[in-house]
Amino acid sequence: MQDDNREARYRVLWPLARIDIPAPVAAQGLPDLSGKTVAELWDNIFRGDVAYAQLREHLRARYPGIRFVPFSEFGNIHGPRQRDILDALPGRLREHGVDAVISGIGA
Amino acid sequence: MLRAAEVAESAGLPSVTIVASGFLKQADLIMRGMGRSLPVAEYPGVPMVDSEAVFSSKVEHHLLPAIIAGLARKSLAPVPPASTEPEPGSEVFDGTLDQVQQHFHDHLWSDGLPVIPPTRSRVQAFLQCTDRQADEVIAVLPQESRAASILSIAVNGVMAGCRPEYMPLLIAVVEAIADPDFRIEDAGSTPSVEPVIIVSGPIIRDLDLNAGAGVMKIGRQANSSIGRFLRLYLRNICGYRIPPGDGDKGSIGFSFNVAMAENEPWARDIGWPSFGEEMGYGPDESVVTVQCICAISAPTYSSGADALSHARQFVDAMGPFFSYWCYTGVKRGLWHPLLVIGPSIAKVIASEWSKDELRDYLWNNLTMPAGKMEHLAMQTGAEELNFRQLVADGLLPSQYIESNDPKRQVRMVVRPEHIGIVVAGDPGRNQSRAYMPNHIQGPRTSKRIRLPECWTQIRKQLQAGRPSPERA
Repeated sequence: MQDDNREARYRVLWPLARIDIPAPVAAQGLPDLSGKTVAELWDNIFRGDVAYAQLREHLRARYPGIRFVPFSEFGNIHGPRQRDILDALPGRLREHGVDAVISGIGA
Repeated sequence: MLRAAEVAESAGLPSVTIVASGFLKQADLIMRGMGRSLPVAEYPGVPMVDSEAVFSSKVEHHLLPAIIAGLARKSLAPVPPASTEPEPGSEVFDGTLDQVQQHFHDHLWSDGLPVIPPTRSRVQAFLQCTDRQADEVIAVLPQESRAASILSIAVNGVMAGCRPEYMPLLIAVVEAIADPDFRIEDAGSTPSVEPVIIVSGPIIRDLDLNAGAGVMKIGRQANSSIGRFLRLYLRNICGYRIPPGDGDKGSIGFSFNVAMAENEPWARDIGWPSFGEEMGYGPDESVVTVQCICAISAPTYSSGADALSHARQFVDAMGPFFSYWCYTGVKRGLWHPLLVIGPSIAKVIASEWSKDELRDYLWNNLTMPAGKMEHLAMQTGAEELNFRQLVADGLLPSQYIESNDPKRQVRMVVRPEHIGIVVAGDPGRNQSRAYMPNHIQGPRTSKRIRLPECWTQIRKQLQAGRPSPERA
């Protein structure tokens, strides 16, 4: 048995790595959605089609003139063409005159 | 979802992301990796198990107010760093072996098994086995946005119990998972995908990788420690940690895979191209291929002196195994199962069929009723499997909609070339296995291993020090 008092010591290096994050761009909020255009983004899972249909009705009841661009316009944002869809997304949002975005469902 | 929201925010549009309760911790981690907090509307509980009435109530009383508030926010605060982190390469602890284990365990830096203490001298030995600089960054990896540096590979390689000469291979592994097509950002998904490293070329012999009996069992140093390295790297650099950490949402999961090597001499002898050659590399090139899997089939025994007998048994045994989960790949037009075929079986098949002929047979005969596939798709997350739409979108060939009969047979694998074949395992037994992927997450991704100029010298030393030269 090795004497504990003579046990070797180890000076060890940090096993993680530097976090490298570009400075984020902040978007302004929209306090009133009346007359605004809202885009729906969906990953085709977790009953999002049902949730979006209900949300549309609730939001229309509160905000006159609100308009929706349905998720079907953008494709599956978590599917095989996710990268292409996300690359094209800013342009597609501009085309539709979108003012705000709801994205779901998951994480 | 959050990544889509991030794109919208960067375009100047306010967003809200709907997140179920079980994913909130992962959402936090992703936002830390983005460097800012994004508004989230929490769906309390699990949407897949709520009645229609409960679901509607949660939409109205939880999602709706959170969405309105999130879109109306005044500003978005950057996520404060959890703590001031050390500089890469700095010594962070000094202690005995037991104290080092406890320190790493307390900081969630280990996988729960003892680690080799990454001392500066040990790390330096790894760095001497590559021509690349310690501070070179291969990529910034999700989800914590950490820089995948050569140094970080060396440190985690030491911890995993690798030998210094594995370093060029470890670098290639990280290059593979950093390839955008690999989608490492999905590696924390609930089915729990685990990567498997497939090694090809002369480095199999150089590093003494096992391609024979027990190829996928822990036991041979190279196979075991290289496989462990990747899981450690996913924890420490990508941030995929199970509780008490976060980021890994694997619901049940399974253990990491040891690195797989092909019995290339055998494949050559029977006239089949090696796995590495099928991935587009020469027989003298050393290559790693990484792919994710989420399940492993039962051991599949087959017998007979003709190719068809074995291929039929593959279909009979692996078909039921694949049938439950293949919709995930059919829905996305890509699914890449991997077959590890025992050498004795491969020899029989190769006497009549090429690898492509075997693939064609499996592709044509691994089928199931379309209606059953649609039903199974609904069980996971209410995913509609709309064959017509998928054909219209170009993701599926037209055979999937030859009729509307729910009993019509449709293929489990979208294209024959999606089936990978490796010859490995016990040459003295007639067993094979299938490895099942999770749709587009972690498709087979290969990288050539860049050996340092001093590799010949390292190789000579390896050969001189090896107790038994040809164990595999």
